[in-house]
Amino acid sequence: MSPRGATGEAAEEIRELVPDVETLAQRLAGVDYLVDEGLATTMFLALRLPQPLLLEGEAGVGKTEAAKALAMILDTPLIRLQCYEGIDAAEALYEWNYPRQLLSIRLADAKHAELGESELFGPDYLIRRPLMTALEHPGPRPAVLLIDEIDRADDDFEAFLLQLLGEASVTIPEIGTIRATHPPIIVLTSNRTRDLHDAVKRRCLYQWIDYPNRQREVDIVRRRVKGASETLAVQVADAISRMRESDIQKPPGVAEAIDWLAALSLLGVERLDADAVERTLGSVLKYSEDQEVIRAAGLEQLVGSSD
Amino acid sequence: MTERTVSDDGVFRLETIHLDLPAVVAALSQRLRMEGVPVTPERSAHFAEALTLTNPITRRRLYWTARAVFVSGPAHAKAFDLVFFSVFGQQLDDEKFEPDEIQTISAPEDERPKSKHKTTDGKSEQSEAGSMSMSPAGEEDGDDDADEDGEEVEIPVAMASEEERLGTKSFDALEPHELSQLYRLMTRLELSTPLRRTRRKKKGRHGEHVDMRRTLRSSLRTGGDPIKLARRHRRIKPRRLVMLCDISGSMEPYARAYLQFLMCAAGAGPDAEAFVFATRLTRLTRALAGRNPERAIQRAAAAAPDWSSGTRIGDALKTFNDIHGRRGMARGAVVVILSDGWERGDPAVVGREMERLARLAHRIVWVNPRVSADEFSPQAGGMLAALPHCDALVSGHTLKALGEVADAIAVESWDRKQSPMMNYKPPAELADDEEEAWGSATPVAGSSFAMPSGSSPSRGNTTPGWASD
Repeated sequence: MSPRGATGEAAEEIRELVPDVETLAQRLAGVDYLVDEGLATTMFLALRLPQPLLLEGEAGVGKTEAAKALAMILDTPLIRLQCYEGIDAAEALYEWNYPRQLLSIRLADAKHAELGESELFGPDYLIRRPLMTALEHPGPRPAVLLIDEIDRADDDFEAFLLQLLGEASVTIPEIGTIRATHPPIIVLTSNRTRDLHDAVKRRCLYQWIDYPNRQREVDIVRRRVKGASETLAVQVADAISRMRESDIQKPPGVAEAIDWLAALSLLGVERLDADAVERTLGSVLKYSEDQEVIRAAGLEQLVGSSD
Repeated sequence: MTERTVSDDGVFRLETIHLDLPAVVAALSQRLRMEGVPVTPERSAHFAEALTLTNPITRRRLYWTARAVFVSGPAHAKAFDLVFFSVFGQQLDDEKFEPDEIQTISAPEDERPKSKHKTTDGKSEQSEAGSMSMSPAGEEDGDDDADEDGEEVEIPVAMASEEERLGTKSFDALEPHELSQLYRLMTRLELSTPLRRTRRKKKGRHGEHVDMRRTLRSSLRTGGDPIKLARRHRRIKPRRLVMLCDISGSMEPYARAYLQFLMCAAGAGPDAEAFVFATRLTRLTRALAGRNPERAIQRAAAAAPDWSSGTRIGDALKTFNDIHGRRGMARGAVVVILSDGWERGDPAVVGREMERLARLAHRIVWVNPRVSADEFSPQAGGMLAALPHCDALVSGHTLKALGEVADAIAVESWDRKQSPMMNYKPPAELADDEEEAWGSATPVAGSSFAMPSGSSPSRGNTTPGWASD
């Protein structure tokens, strides 16, 4: 019934792959992406309704990873569009291959052949940017389209996305409307630097991703850093959660926890102590003010045994 | 009716939901709509579809299914939780969702003498409306009264002399009906921030980039020879305007007028943001959107629960920096702070956070109505701490003075090094000439606006506000 649903076999395949929320959560865990029930349910709906998924949350909680994990379990390409200010259709959707067009005009001229505008602005001369690539993905399963940090683009671009989000199609003036044969699974992420337009939100499922609880964080970092000891992972998770509670400008996310654990195990650290923290603090805290705050509070206290 | 069947106990879940699907969807949708969560028929349909997909056998699953479909931002999560748990019973133990729209800062009681007037009760009523921000207000008595103010008081056709009089009347001496007139006059203020170059390009004859698409199209007519190059240039666009307004007790006489000013600013363009703070920081951009100033200000009053309480400027700025500024809202923006600089917390925090903000923002304009007032006193430690990081300090206590605020916002480029305030040292001894010291610290011409003799504000007794008299 949904206008942008995957058709026939593809939908059937996805249904078999993720018959229910639990299976999806297990499959995501299989590719080392651990989710809570809220995120699992939302991702399940995004796959099965299907509807674009808008993810918000602090930096480094795994918004982008969610899209990667979806692509992995579906075994389809992840097509990523990083948004930035001033991004427009030529950079997101398509551009014409001007050198080739010029060459063709010359060639036609030399051969005294006719070259109409409709040929010149046909699919042969089209350079496909991420959105177009995602729409034209041949299948068999839909591609995962990640539109990253949509809040960095301006509102004109949001308006431009509406047709894609709502109907999985785009209109190119020279060619006409291109409709996806296998509508992509769309994941949008936002850091909330500005409010997105209601029209965008209306077309999306929404999920706020929070920091994981301690146990899940330990599980996540251990899965991501192979060979790290559990003791170290637990100590890192504890220290990170203490940092998040203290008064710092940029609380470390899960990504920083993973980086930190990776740095520590690379240095052969077995147990986290004040000295090890001092040497590796730069992989967790990226503001000198924040490092000062943590040092002032005492590194010993940071690594103290948990209660 | 659905609610009652459902809130019984565990037995219902497997049966009721399956049997009564349309009723559940309809009831939930309707109640959500009543609480201000935007529910469209499309969303309700999605919800029905989602229910058949997730097959919610537990309340948790049902909760997450409904939430994924209906909630599209932290602002709605609270209203959603309220409705969901009233329809389907108890709260999930581990599920707490803190909207980041309102951040609490613990603040001590305000020790300053508050101006006494009748509106105090009305206000506490409104503050109870609290964080259920966008819900259509109007049930409370206070609100109705405010409404009448706006709609029943006859607004005399403002003649030139009347406008002139209003233009120089201090905001804290305004009668309620004058505020409505003031709003009309305020909308004439042109608030435009300095321009900046964007990455987006548009057509232009002398642009710095060649527009290949248009060049090629026109070359078709000349046999493929690009005789004329079409060009594009970078589009220029006004900077974002961020307004932070102090609504603590000491700013009360000015709050209503400034809120109208905020509304004009928010209506100035898509890239304007409005916040108010006293003990918390509340984002009002949404609440102030719309055409009707009375309604917008009611919404704003309901959204900010901390009217006329104590001030923690430093903490409010910190919250702003942490939640909004650092993520990009303040980057390259013109930030306007409307406050008297009375800080109950540690002025050092104000200094530190202003420094952070100054690193992000393009310009910071501080509007302090006391700069020109008789009883202005530089004891405001927060103001002293903030001063080195401000690009302009203006009074903005009258409509005319607000024109200077608009000027200060619009200044194309401002060299901080040249600002007289950068070199300003607070007087070692707070002597009689303190007012002059402040006056000289104002870079915008005439900003220490002199009160015309005779219309000196009589603070406290004719406070405009939400008064229902």
